[in-house]
Parts: sequence; C-alpha cells; structure tokens
Amino acid sequence: MNKKFLGLVPLLIFVLLCVFLYQGLFGNPRELQTGRLGHTMPAFELPDLMDERKRWTDQDLLGEVYLLNVWGTWCPTCIAELGYLTELREQGVRIIGLYYEQAYDPDFGDQFDIDYLRADVQQMLSRAGDPYQFNILDLERTLALDLGVSGAPETFLVDKNGKIILHHTGDINPRVWRSKFAPAIQELQP
Amino acid sequence: MIPEIGYFSLVLAMGLSLLLCIFPLWGAYTGNLRLMRTAPSLAVGQCLLVLFSFGVLIYITLADDFTVAYVAHHSSSTLPWYYKVTSTWGGHEGAILLWLVMQASWTALVAMMSKSLPWVLRARVLGVLGFLGVGFMLYTLWMSSPFERLLPYYPVEGRDLNPLLQDPGMIIHPPLLYMGYVGLSVSFSFAIAALLTGKLDNTWAKWSRPWTMAAWGFLTLGITIGSWWAYSELGWGGWWFWDPVENASLMPWLVATALLHSLAITEKRGVFKSWTVLLAIAAFSLCLLGTFIVRSGIIVSVHAFATDPDRGLFILSFLALVVGGSLALYGLRVSQVYSEGRYKLVSREVGLWVNNIFLVVATLIVLLGTLLPMIHKELGLGSISIGVPFFNQMFAILIVPFAILMGIAPMLRWKQNKLPPLAKKWAAIFVATIVITSAWLFSSFDDISTLTYLATALAVWICIATVVDLVEKVSVHPSTAQGLKRLGMSYWAMVLGHVGIAFVIASVTLTSAYSVERSVVMTKGETATLNEYEYRFEGVNEIRGPNYGGHAGEVTVFKDGEYVTLLHAEKRLYDVGMQFMTEAAIDDGFYRDLYLALGESMGNGAWSLRIYHKPYVRWMWLGGILISLAGFIVLADKRYRRRKQPSVEHA
Repeated sequence: MNKKFLGLVPLLIFVLLCVFLYQGLFGNPRELQTGRLGHTMPAFELPDLMDERKRWTDQDLLGEVYLLNVWGTWCPTCIAELGYLTELREQGVRIIGLYYEQAYDPDFGDQFDIDYLRADVQQMLSRAGDPYQFNILDLERTLALDLGVSGAPETFLVDKNGKIILHHTGDINPRVWRSKFAPAIQELQP
Repeated sequence: MIPEIGYFSLVLAMGLSLLLCIFPLWGAYTGNLRLMRTAPSLAVGQCLLVLFSFGVLIYITLADDFTVAYVAHHSSSTLPWYYKVTSTWGGHEGAILLWLVMQASWTALVAMMSKSLPWVLRARVLGVLGFLGVGFMLYTLWMSSPFERLLPYYPVEGRDLNPLLQDPGMIIHPPLLYMGYVGLSVSFSFAIAALLTGKLDNTWAKWSRPWTMAAWGFLTLGITIGSWWAYSELGWGGWWFWDPVENASLMPWLVATALLHSLAITEKRGVFKSWTVLLAIAAFSLCLLGTFIVRSGIIVSVHAFATDPDRGLFILSFLALVVGGSLALYGLRVSQVYSEGRYKLVSREVGLWVNNIFLVVATLIVLLGTLLPMIHKELGLGSISIGVPFFNQMFAILIVPFAILMGIAPMLRWKQNKLPPLAKKWAAIFVATIVITSAWLFSSFDDISTLTYLATALAVWICIATVVDLVEKVSVHPSTAQGLKRLGMSYWAMVLGHVGIAFVIASVTLTSAYSVERSVVMTKGETATLNEYEYRFEGVNEIRGPNYGGHAGEVTVFKDGEYVTLLHAEKRLYDVGMQFMTEAAIDDGFYRDLYLALGESMGNGAWSLRIYHKPYVRWMWLGGILISLAGFIVLADKRYRRRKQPSVEHA
C-alpha cells in the first residue's frame, strides 16, 4: 500500500504543476505587481538631467498627481511612446522623466560624457516630442532599484501624497491609457 | 499549389502516425503478430512524408513564394540561400515542423535499427513514438501550419529573417538541440513500452542506453553551441544567462545525465529499476515542459516566440496527457518492481546513486528558479524575480561535493569496496591536485581568491583522478596496448565526459574571475592597452552586405610590439526593418579570447569601442564537445550493434 502511494507521488506533483501552468497561461507575465505598490515614493535626492546643480527630492514632487516615466534614448519603445505622452501632456497630465542610462555601468568605473548625453536627449525630444516637465538623472540607478524597475519603458502613477498607485511595464498607448490609467486617475479626483 | 501539397503530405503523415499508434499497440495487447509487424513500415512511411513536407517548405522559401505567410514573415528575396533554408526554422511554425522532422526521423531510425528486439517491445516502442508524432502533427496542422497563404493580398517582398538569427549559430544550434530533445522521446518510449509490458528487467535498460546516449550527445552539443553563439552575439548576456529558455534546455540535460548513469546501474546490476524509468519519463517531460515555456509566452524571455494562449493551451493539454498518462501508468506498475542486487555503502552503486541525487537536486533548483516567479504571482503574493545570483550560488554549492565524487566514484567497484587502500590513493591524488593547481594559478594570475582556487582545484582533481584510474585499469593487463583495447567504449565515454566537465568547471571559474573589459574612445592611429595586449585603432569604413549596410571598425592587436591579429568589428543596419546589429570581432585562442565591439561614432572620426579580454573561455565549449563525444562513442560499442537475433519472436 505504502509503495503504491509512493509511486503516485510524481503524478500528484505534476497535476499541481499543471494547475499553475494553466493559470499562468491566461496571466500576463509582463504585468508586474511591484512590491512598492500602495507604498509611498522612496526618498531620494538626484540631479536634474539638464543641470546638475538643480537637485530634486521626493518632497519636491508632492502635491499633484503625476506620472513617473522611466526612459532612455537607447530604448526604441521609449522613443515610440514620446509622441503619445506629449499629447497627454497637452491634455494636462503631469509627466516627470526618470532618465535611465544603459551604457553607463558604475561597477566598471566607466567614463561618462554628460554633455554628449544632454545633446542626444535634446535632439531626441525636439524630434519626437517632449512630454516631460523635467527629467531626473538616476545615473547610479538607486531610485530605479528602489522602485523595482525591471527595464524601460516603465511608468508609475503617483498620487499627490506620493503614494504609488500603478506600475506599468511596456509602452503607454491609447488603449493602455483608456483601460488602465484613465480610470485610476478618475478615482484619484475627488 | 505547391504549399498545399506540403500540407497534404503532412495530413497523410498524420494518418500513418495514427495507424502507427493504434495497430502495433493493439497488436501487442492482443498478441496479434501481423498487426505488430505493420509498425516498421508505417514508421518509415510517415517519416518520408514529413521529410517531403519539410522539403516543400524549403523549396517555397528558396523560390521566394511570399503568398505563403510564413515565408513572407521570415524570409526575403535578398536573403542569402543558406539563411533562406535557415529561415524555415526561424519562426514558430517552421520550428515546430523541424521538430516533426526530427521526431519522424528518430521514429524511422528506431524502426530500422531495432530488428533484434522482441516484437512485443518493438511494436510498443514504435506505437508510443507514433502517438507522440500524432500529437505534434495535429498541432502543426491545426494551430501552426507553415503553409498558410496570404491571399489575395500578399506582399511583394518578405519581412526578412530577424538579423539576430542571420548567424551560423542559427544554422546548427536549433537542429542539434531538437535532435536531443526529440531523441529523449525514444528513451521515453522504451520506458513506457517496458511499463506496458510489465517487464522492467535489464534488457530494457540495455536497449534504451545507446539511444539515450545519442540523444544526450546531441543535446550536449546543442547547448554547447547555443552557449557559444550567445557569447559571440553582443547583448545576449554572454555564454550563460539563466534565461528561462536556457534553463528549459538545461533541465532535460541534467535529468538525461542522471538517466544515463542510472541506466548503467540498471543494465549491469538490475537495481534502481523504477527510478530509472521515472528518470526516462522525467527527461522527456521536461523537454515538453520546455517547449511549453518557450511557445506559450508564460514567462518573459529573450527566446520567447510570439504568444498565443490557444497554442499554449494545446501544448499544455498534450503535456498533461503524455506526462500525466505516463506517470499514472508508472504509479500503477511501479509497486510490482523489485530490486535484485545487493550492495554495501562503499560501492559504485551508492556512488552513482549520490550522483543521481545531485543531478536531480540541480534540476529541481533550475525548475523552481524558473517557475517560482510565475507560481508566486498566481498565488497572489506579488511579482518576484529570481536571477543569476540565485542560480550561481546554488550551483556553486552543489558543484563542490559533486566534483569531488566525480573524481573518485569511477574507482569504486560494484557491490562493495574496502576503504583504506582507496583512501590512500585519494590522499595521493589530493596532494597532486594541490601542487598542480598552485603551479598553474600562481604562474598565470596575480590575484587569486579562495573560491577561484577551490573551483580550479576541483577541475584539476577530476582530471587527475580520471587519469589515475585510466592508468590503473590499463596496467592490470600485461601490455598497454592490450589494456587499452580491453577498456569498453562506455569506459572511454566516462573518461571523456568527466574530463569535459573538468574543462567546463575550469573555464567558468577562470573566465568569471579574470575577464576584464575596457570602454575607450579612439581616433584613427590611437592605441589602448588591456592586460598585456595593445590595441591600435585603424579607423572605420563603410560596408555593404547582401541585405545590410553599415560600418566596420578595424583594430590591430600587438603583444610586446609583435603583431597578433587584426580585429574586424561591424555595426550593421539591415535594409528590411531598419534594425541595427553589432557584430563583435573575436580572436579566439586556447588560453584567451580577445573580443571587440564597435560602439557609436563620437564625431571627428572618434569612435567608442569596448575591448574584452577573456581567459580560458574556449575551454567551456571544448569541454562541451568532449562531453558530447562521450555520447557518440558509446554508439561504437559492439554490444549495441548486434545483428538480428534468431528466434526471439514470440507474442
């Protein structure tokens, strides 16, 4: 009897696995449930992308609902969504950029040319549209790490008290906006 | 018209496969020899039809028939002919057809080379293979036909093969890997046939062993080439990245490695029978699971094909049917199996058993690491990610006892051993290991960490122990020549396999510890130094290939003022799709690779470049090739090539 049961153990484990695989099939692996969801923005103090003397902290961003858009000129999808984000800005959405530099790897003590990057960003934004109120430069990726950023583009919806409402991976397009962001923003308006 | 012929040929092949699945199995069940005898011709017939269908796909791709959706999406008229052929497995539909080709060919091979098997076993093996064939053919015909048309509006030019896939790696990596995956279905079929027959004796293990070795050899070679390819493409994460799809190929490999060790015990000693059967089922199940992971989009991966829940659902159902069915059969039959042999603690049986434990634990670690993020999320616990550090740490812990055992276990005899004489020998090998490792590392590198030393010592330990054992086994015979001749092919396979692993361990350790890289901005004539090499930038030229344009940068490398090589790195822009590709330049050497990638133009003739120096990285693939050779030389063993046995036909 005992031996018979033992023989069926692999089958039971497999059945359990199948249940999860079936569920996973209809889930979206790109949908992230970040650990920070519902928490407040992590504390930070980082320079402005265009002017390193200007520094931004988490306190500066409070008071208004905003989107924090993680992007970089090296990321084609980020460039592609600039146009639509600019439209959103024109409709009054406050968008703040978190610039994520991929080529720079602090662990290797790489040389980094900030003037070259600025020129590159300027050129890209004038060509594809500039949706940003300003851009924060997160060269050491501390804020990105605290936020649980896994790549670019990613966008966070943050309310006026600094609470993170949404974490979206992938581009923002009219469909995503209508189905995900617009309802969430609606809820935030009293 | 021609694509439809290809499709129709597949329909016929599925019909034959269906018969192959029904007739022999029914015949074996009822004891009808005439039905069982249909199996070989049905197997060969369906194989010819599948091959024909694949030939049709190659033909329409070469003929640029863009009315066919698959060709329009994965090829273009400017693509060189060999990449056109490659494009037939560059997309999902074609890749599945390639899988079918492999499945059909293995089935036909088994049919032709199993003449000495008893008919009941032969019919059941082929019947199970037929069943698997039906599953994959149904999937192809129903959900992913590569012969679908784009009528009436078809493009005048194709979308081209993804530039990332226009590489010699793409020509050989998928076919080899599929040979391995599908080959394991043969071991699986032998296991199921043995379970159906209810006779789990060592004849089963003996017949299954060469097929398993061959499949494992292909799988090893496929993974090795995949690793080399990922290394030579920039931005693919290097030679191993613990990507879900890499893991999907590693899991069957680990289990198949356990299986072929376990098969050896079952064949020679008649023990661990039910365990061996379970491993055979698990190895192929993990291949199917891997397919499911890659094809269903359940997990985010660099390899993942376009996602489609319907396709995922079909593969999952098939997986559930095949694996669930065989595990149920296993559960019913395994209680009737009894071990024959007896053995003591210090014996080869126990050595191999511990080997199996390690390999299975390693598989479970990979399986958990791959699936846990998904399960965690489905349980509503939020997203987590399990990354490279987890796997690296787990494998670093596992490899230590595993490698120590790998050195000494082959010296153990079956049944039992006396420990003291062995311990004396091991102590001597230990001293030799310390001496050689120290001499090697201290003469080559300046800064040596404890971990690096330990891991290198493990590799040296395996090599010395294997050689000592080889010398001992030869020296019991009067002459060396005679001694060498008396060693069986499976012994040589063991030697090659274990030395291969030692090479891989040494390479992974040394290249991880001592690789260096440098980013530089250079204008023509400027030089940069990295380790003992000096790199002189020779400027950038415009280039034009058959289906791309771009820039090529050249760098001359000197060592102590002597010319070493000219590195030629390219940055290509493909015409169709306007996609950028970086072709790195690699100077390969036995002791080090020099690797150069061309970056961006910084204006005024200055370019950014990245230079890498990677010591001993070649040894990884050298080791992989040695290991896969181990799988192939066993096939040369005379015991497995006996001609037809007289009068074994009974039903």
